[in-house]
Amino acid sequence: MSTAALTSHDATSAHASQRTAVFGMTIFLASEAMLFAGLIAGYLVLRLSSPAWPPSPDLPHLPIFLTGINTVFLISSSLTYHAAEVAVKKGRGGLIWLLITVLLGSLFLGIQAYEWTHLYHEGLWFNKGGAYGSTFFVLTGFHGLHVFLGVMMILFAFLRQLGGAYTAESHTYLVLAGMYWHFVDVVWLFLYTVLYLI
Amino acid sequence: MTMKNLFPKMLGWAAVILLIAVFDVSAEVRTSNLYWAPEVATVGGKRVDALLNFIFYLTAAVFVLTQVVYIYYLVKYRKRPGSKAHYSHGNNKLEIIWTAIPTAIFLGLVIYSNRLWSELHSTPPDDAVKVDIVSYQFGWDMRYPGADGRLGKVDVHSYSVDNKFGLVADDPAGDDDFASTELVIPVGKPVHIYLHSRDVIHSFYVPAFRLYQAAVPGRTIAWVWFQTTRTGNFELACSQICGSGHYNMKAPIRVVTQEEFDKWQAGKIEAHAEAAKATSAARVLRNATASGRQPTEQNL
Amino acid sequence: MSSSATVFVPGDAPAHGHEGHHGHHPHQGFFFTYIWSTDHKMIGLQYLWTSFVFLLLGGLLAMGIRFQLAYPGATVPLIGALLPSTVAADGVILPGGYNMLFTMHATVMVFLVVMPLLIGGFGNYLIPLKIGAGDMAFPTLNAMSYWLYVLSGIIILASFFVDGGAASSGWTAYAPLSSTAAYNNNTQIGQSLWCVGLFVNGLSSIAGATNYITTIINMRAPGMTMFRLPLSVWALFITAWLLILAVPVLSAAAAMLFTDLNFHTTFFAALGGQPLLWQHLFWFFGHPEVYIMILPAMGLVSEILPVFARKPIFGYKAMVWAMVAIGFLGFIVWGHHMFVSGMNLTLGAAFSVSTMIIAVPSAIKTFNWMGTVWRGSITFTTPMLFALGFVSMFVIGGLSGIFMAATPVDLFVHNSYFIVAHIHYVLFGGSLFGAFAAIYFWYPKMFGRMMNETWGKIHFFATFIFFNLTFFPMHNLGLGGMMRRIADPTVYEHLRALQPMNVFVSWAAFGMGLATFIFLWNFIWSLRHGKPAGKNPWDSTTLEWTVPSPPGHGNFDRTPNVFNGPYEYSVPGMEKDFLPQDEKAPEGARLEVH
Ligand code: HEA
Ligand code: HEA
Ligand code: CUA
Ligand SMILES: [Cu+2]
Repeated sequence: MSTAALTSHDATSAHASQRTAVFGMTIFLASEAMLFAGLIAGYLVLRLSSPAWPPSPDLPHLPIFLTGINTVFLISSSLTYHAAEVAVKKGRGGLIWLLITVLLGSLFLGIQAYEWTHLYHEGLWFNKGGAYGSTFFVLTGFHGLHVFLGVMMILFAFLRQLGGAYTAESHTYLVLAGMYWHFVDVVWLFLYTVLYLI
Repeated sequence: MTMKNLFPKMLGWAAVILLIAVFDVSAEVRTSNLYWAPEVATVGGKRVDALLNFIFYLTAAVFVLTQVVYIYYLVKYRKRPGSKAHYSHGNNKLEIIWTAIPTAIFLGLVIYSNRLWSELHSTPPDDAVKVDIVSYQFGWDMRYPGADGRLGKVDVHSYSVDNKFGLVADDPAGDDDFASTELVIPVGKPVHIYLHSRDVIHSFYVPAFRLYQAAVPGRTIAWVWFQTTRTGNFELACSQICGSGHYNMKAPIRVVTQEEFDKWQAGKIEAHAEAAKATSAARVLRNATASGRQPTEQNL
Repeated sequence: MSSSATVFVPGDAPAHGHEGHHGHHPHQGFFFTYIWSTDHKMIGLQYLWTSFVFLLLGGLLAMGIRFQLAYPGATVPLIGALLPSTVAADGVILPGGYNMLFTMHATVMVFLVVMPLLIGGFGNYLIPLKIGAGDMAFPTLNAMSYWLYVLSGIIILASFFVDGGAASSGWTAYAPLSSTAAYNNNTQIGQSLWCVGLFVNGLSSIAGATNYITTIINMRAPGMTMFRLPLSVWALFITAWLLILAVPVLSAAAAMLFTDLNFHTTFFAALGGQPLLWQHLFWFFGHPEVYIMILPAMGLVSEILPVFARKPIFGYKAMVWAMVAIGFLGFIVWGHHMFVSGMNLTLGAAFSVSTMIIAVPSAIKTFNWMGTVWRGSITFTTPMLFALGFVSMFVIGGLSGIFMAATPVDLFVHNSYFIVAHIHYVLFGGSLFGAFAAIYFWYPKMFGRMMNETWGKIHFFATFIFFNLTFFPMHNLGLGGMMRRIADPTVYEHLRALQPMNVFVSWAAFGMGLATFIFLWNFIWSLRHGKPAGKNPWDSTTLEWTVPSPPGHGNFDRTPNVFNGPYEYSVPGMEKDFLPQDEKAPEGARLEVH
């Protein structure tokens, strides 16, 4: 008999319930990964079956450099979030780190919004530029929505932590939000690679 | 009779009725086509029928065998006073046997099936009658080569009200192509069809030919060919849901003797030449008013 | 404490140091007991009741289909005047309206009946009880999953009443028909709602599946090893994995379809996009989906056969591995829906191979079911009859699958009624027969009373006979050349000779519809008048039968200890002919260790 099996009682202890929650979050993220896998697969099919990419020479190229910087912001937000978690685990508040994470996440969204308007004026949009426009806006849009949700989750954590909600022993919510946030970052690395770099 | 005894019996009878139904069907096959496929009309169709029948006998045997054994068990091992179930968790040797045998059967079947599949899609013979078939909501346009025996080139981007076959401007082979709303083919000759769609996915389906192929907009499906074995009138059906008129998207097919076909073709070519006098040969099809929907701008 | 806890038999529950568990739940009132309940049993029952409502709706749509096919152009009796104007004019079904009927029939049956009934209903109700847990790992998520399901149902059905009517491009929604308003008389709202509805439905499925997997992995009672899990739990576990991995791909595809319709993106457009991309994405989901619908039924049936044969399930591990194999292989066979779609021909041949291979685990399961009744001591109760019927009907449906898996035969039967016959043999004769078996079997646990056996048997035989009379002739219609999804077969000369068969099928279908009322009547009547069931009316071994019927809040007063596998029936050397999972084998019992 596996000793790992929990009973319904064990689940009520804080430690075990966090472990269960982390497990559940992992499963959920697996399905999120399949969502993006579906989108990326669709993108690759369309791109590989198109004779040229961008399909027409007068379509704008994607701003690799600006988005590269934006990527750095997003990645560092994972690090700052991690710093927040470490602080909480050590019994400190981690408020500053949470706030910086929220700001970095928002900055990412802001720059992306700027990029969208820029491309729109250059003639690329959901309905312009064929599959090139469609895939770009739907994929980054889906991801942006996830970043937005992540920022909201972390903002919520920040607000609760103002009241000292999370302690070194009990901060399941922070762990879960962190998993989600790191996941969103990793997805972005994939998107940045397939949409911009290759 | 008590309920207890009645139900196993009823179950048995239900199974017997079912079996009779199955056999009834297979008996009917020999006398009428109502309960089986329509009389086949192509060479490839005969090969398909052979495979179909093979699978039918295979699966019928599997069905009868499993159900007879199953029902025999149900009757024999029904609960009776004093009877006790045998205690067993299974048998690994049996598991291996009933994994291996179906696997072998399926592998054999897939070899047979895939061989036939590639045979049916072998390269069409050069002397095949060529027809370009363009589907649209909700009908069919056919295009035959003129005297040169060559179909003019098509560009899937060029479909329009004025150019319902999407002919390119600079291919003279298309100048003498003629259009038809029925599919007329000479019996016994290979026929190579090109499938196009001007809007959504449609499909070319003729049950007597044992032939189905979807026509995908934006593509040319160029691998379908067949050879008829008898003359007759058939109906071409669209069997891919394509909108509110899908149920009625059909066209006549006439499989005729070579002489009849030649006559029909000659008449068509002549009519084409007549029409060309009014404008120019190159403009007959490219300017004809399409009966179908014009593709929306988005799809162009 | 929830009101249902009153059924606890005093003295039955030596609640050692465990009062706290019941103590969490002060009297909760109507809202928290029946509406926003987080108790897995109540959620299971909510799923069950809701899916019944949708079953009636989906069935009614099917009756509409059958009426139109038997009497094209005739006025629909009784309800003709009530039909929305997009479906019928003056009570006569329009061709476009017919397309809505079968599109919505299938969407309702697949996403709002079979999945919620088998997975939502029985999954929620049984998993914690069967593994010895007090509830699901995430009760709130569970409640949310149910309400998302209800919401998705409302969205999908509301589409009948929007401008242009419901989605009408088939449940498979092939693009560019589905993705371009211009091809649907410039309407798109129905199809858009279809996308949104399926997206929401997908969230519900994913929430549920996350819960199931977490619960099964983390909350088993001591002694409940993976290989002591009842097969129904295994089946739901694998199904949950399929949901996690397949459903999001449909969500992604539905999102693209939605933006194609509303933002004029060109994912699936003929030029600048790829119509076949939709099909690949849809079937990458769609094929696992059909196993999502059959696996739970297989699991439930595997649970019922041993009870009424009084024998251990034959080849437990083979059954588990067969399901695992079906789960894996299910992801690499999707192309068999696309043999003649314009897809690369060699690819088609490859998919044909994988499709034949995936039939092997199904064969293994069939033979093990037969092995289970072999040398049993069989009683033919209603749940047993449905379970036995399931096996036979699944074999017929599976064997017709072999025809289509052979590419050249599919060249002939694709999109014909042969396919319609196949899907109903596996989905009705399979999934729904399994569901009926399960309802009759677990009803006493859920409601504390037995369903009436006589009516149950009449329901079974009526359903069994009418089912076969309805769907078996469809094989012949298909071979005869009748296309699916056509509103009026009589427009084709070569199909006119088949029309009497269509009329016959329709009347058989009406009979099947009526048979369903026997069931509903029995279900409702027995709530008050059924024989009291007691804890374990079937002398069954699994853990849910060790607690009162219906079980109280928190299920177990004391976490059970599990000592045995789930199917120890007729163990030699024992007085009783069953050994519950939480009982130590008595002295002298000769258990077979495997
Ligand atoms: C519960 C649902 C379910 C299940 C379990 C299955 C099971 C199978 N299906 Fe089916 N299928 C559907 C639901 C299902 N299907 C639906 C809904 C569609 C249509 C979708 C649409 O277009 O709308 C479809 C369509 C479909 C197609 C596409 C047809 C077409 O559109 O042209 C194909 C083609 O290969 C196919 C094959 C199979 C096979 C090989 C199996 C196998 O898994 C079956 C295996 C079982 C057995 C074979 C029986 C038991 C075995 C034995 C007794 C052993 C011995 C047997 C032999 C040696 C022969 N199915
Ligand atoms: C689980 C899935 C499921 C179930 C249970 C059913 C159940 C039924 N189905 Fe369905 N069907 C599908 C899944 C299902 N179907 C799918 C996936 C398709 C493909 C759709 C597509 O092409 O896109 C399809 C398509 C389909 C077609 C083909 C339509 C076409 O291609 O044109 C037909 C035609 O006969 C049909 C008939 C029936 C009938 C008669 C029932 C009966 O079993 C229903 C029995 C009725 C009840 C159980 C409800 C109770 C009855 C009433 C409330 C009515 C009472 C009134 C009277 C008696 C008059 N179905
Ligand atoms: Cu064209 Cu159906
Ligand atoms: Cu499939």
